[in-house]
Amino acid sequence: MTGEPPADPPPRVRVTAPRAGAASARPSAPTRAGARGAASPHDAPGDVQSVYVRSLIRSQLRLGLICAAGFAITTAAFVIAVALVPALDEAFVAGVPASWLLLGFGVYPLAITVAVLYVRAAARNEARYRSLAEDR
Amino acid sequence: MNPAIGYAAIVAVALVSVLIGFYGLRISRTTSDFYVASRTVPPWWNASAIGGEYLSAASFLGIAGLILLTGSSAMWFPIGYTAGYLMLLLFVAAPLRRSGAYTIPDFTEARLESATVRRVTSVLVIVIGWLYIVPQLQGAALTVRITTGLPSWVGSVAVAALVAIVVAAGGMRAITFVQAFQFWLKLAAIAIPVVALLLVTGAIEPELPPAQAFPAADGPGGLDLYRTVSLMVALLLGTLGLPHVLVRFYTNPDGPTARRTTVIVLVLLSVFYAFPTLFGLFGRAFAPDLANAGDADALVLVLPDRLVPGVWGDLLTALVIGGAFAAFLSTSSGLVVSVAGVISQDLLGGSVRGFRIAAFASTAVPLLVAFLTEPAGLAGSVGLVFAFTAATLCPVLLLGIWWRGLTARGAVAGMATGAVLSGAAILGGALVTTSAPAFRAVVEQPAAWSVPIAVLVTVLVSRADRRRMPRGTDAFLARLHLPERDRG
Repeated sequence: MTGEPPADPPPRVRVTAPRAGAASARPSAPTRAGARGAASPHDAPGDVQSVYVRSLIRSQLRLGLICAAGFAITTAAFVIAVALVPALDEAFVAGVPASWLLLGFGVYPLAITVAVLYVRAAARNEARYRSLAEDR
Repeated sequence: MNPAIGYAAIVAVALVSVLIGFYGLRISRTTSDFYVASRTVPPWWNASAIGGEYLSAASFLGIAGLILLTGSSAMWFPIGYTAGYLMLLLFVAAPLRRSGAYTIPDFTEARLESATVRRVTSVLVIVIGWLYIVPQLQGAALTVRITTGLPSWVGSVAVAALVAIVVAAGGMRAITFVQAFQFWLKLAAIAIPVVALLLVTGAIEPELPPAQAFPAADGPGGLDLYRTVSLMVALLLGTLGLPHVLVRFYTNPDGPTARRTTVIVLVLLSVFYAFPTLFGLFGRAFAPDLANAGDADALVLVLPDRLVPGVWGDLLTALVIGGAFAAFLSTSSGLVVSVAGVISQDLLGGSVRGFRIAAFASTAVPLLVAFLTEPAGLAGSVGLVFAFTAATLCPVLLLGIWWRGLTARGAVAGMATGAVLSGAAILGGALVTTSAPAFRAVVEQPAAWSVPIAVLVTVLVSRADRRRMPRGTDAFLARLHLPERDRG
């Protein structure tokens, strides 16, 4: 899961490649197949299949990492904001400082939001794989 | 506190658990039923059961106690316990379900085609399970001592015996029912007293004025960066490797259901943890005298009786005692199911009888350990188990699901490294804290360095061992990640 030198077997390189932009899984599969010269339409269907599978795994991993990073960054930003605004320690809501309440209850909605977005996107990746596999 | 209330609540929860357990027994017959409830459990049931199993003594008693003791830094525990399920969703839930294995050792063996990896994983699962049962039994000891006045060991023995009987009798299907029931019991048992306290405390003068009860130094501004980050690494990644949680994912019908279940768990936990957090805040304002290491964990049990007068106070106390007892029972039985599953499959041939023997064995050992060790704070000792899990099972699981290059040697090297590092940190913690206080945080919260080192060792050894990459890797990975109806 670390950044590897290009000597790696090909699939790993793509995982951490800079193309972290969103929906790029679809074009990448045919390009890669062509680049390796292994998967022309006349080859065994198993090869094309395995290219699609690797592309699916890559896009799911990329999605997971983006969501995890998104959660970590928003949580860190939120908590640092709460920690750095002293006024929140002075503002009491029902006898408790607002800063305590924000830390105690504010992070959970972030986690749930990321989870819901992820489930939708992961299902989309799988649907895209299906349509690719069926097009063939 | 009136001991009769304690007895009544504990006996009631125990009886109901046993009844539900035996009701499940009538349905569970085959070995497959026993281990994973035949994969026919719907997401809401399954999510409740995961919640029921997951919410342990640390959640029910420990969080409120730690907030009382140390302030808002303790709020990171429930955040981490919950967000761990986000990591589980992102990286593990659907692929693991699709792997079709029963236990973590099944998974690692199938993925890496190695019996050695299986044995190492099994040993780790057993150790983690036992380590995690110990604080449950200590929590039970505390609850029984505080509420009935009986000696501590009675509580540990009672929980251990009940768990062994229910698990050995009913297996996983029974446990799924019991666990789902226990989640809602625990939620009610902590939510109702909190609502009552909210109603009552408006009219009571706090023991401490707000500025003293919630000093800025104990608040979010007093954040210790290293400790917080390290704790988050442990809790977020530790959840991925907890054996009793993972075994639950095999009971989902397919990958998308596993994802839905995980999101529901996330919501259920977010709702639940609001209440222990509130309890902790109440404690700081109304029971500052409990803020010492020995008493803080009893805050949830003691506070309703102090603030709510008369019969209502007694009823609320009965409710929290019942909830706490449900927490010990459900987490321990979930752990015993997974540990017993591993022991019986690896040592006793996987028969139903073997499972029963293993169930008794896997409650007896932690009971011994609980007798021999001094109870520390509940939230803290569970946190250490998470750190251990994060450094041992989590790297293998994540790399096994997402990285083609993982090999058996890499996996074993990584697990051994993680186990040695976190074991040394846990055992050596006491020595270092007295002789070299500068290293205290580093040793007390080892995950921030132990997990990256374990991952690095796994990757490096796997790379050096590249020629021994398992032959079936690509087929296995395809199986983990392909949507169900497209499987060949």
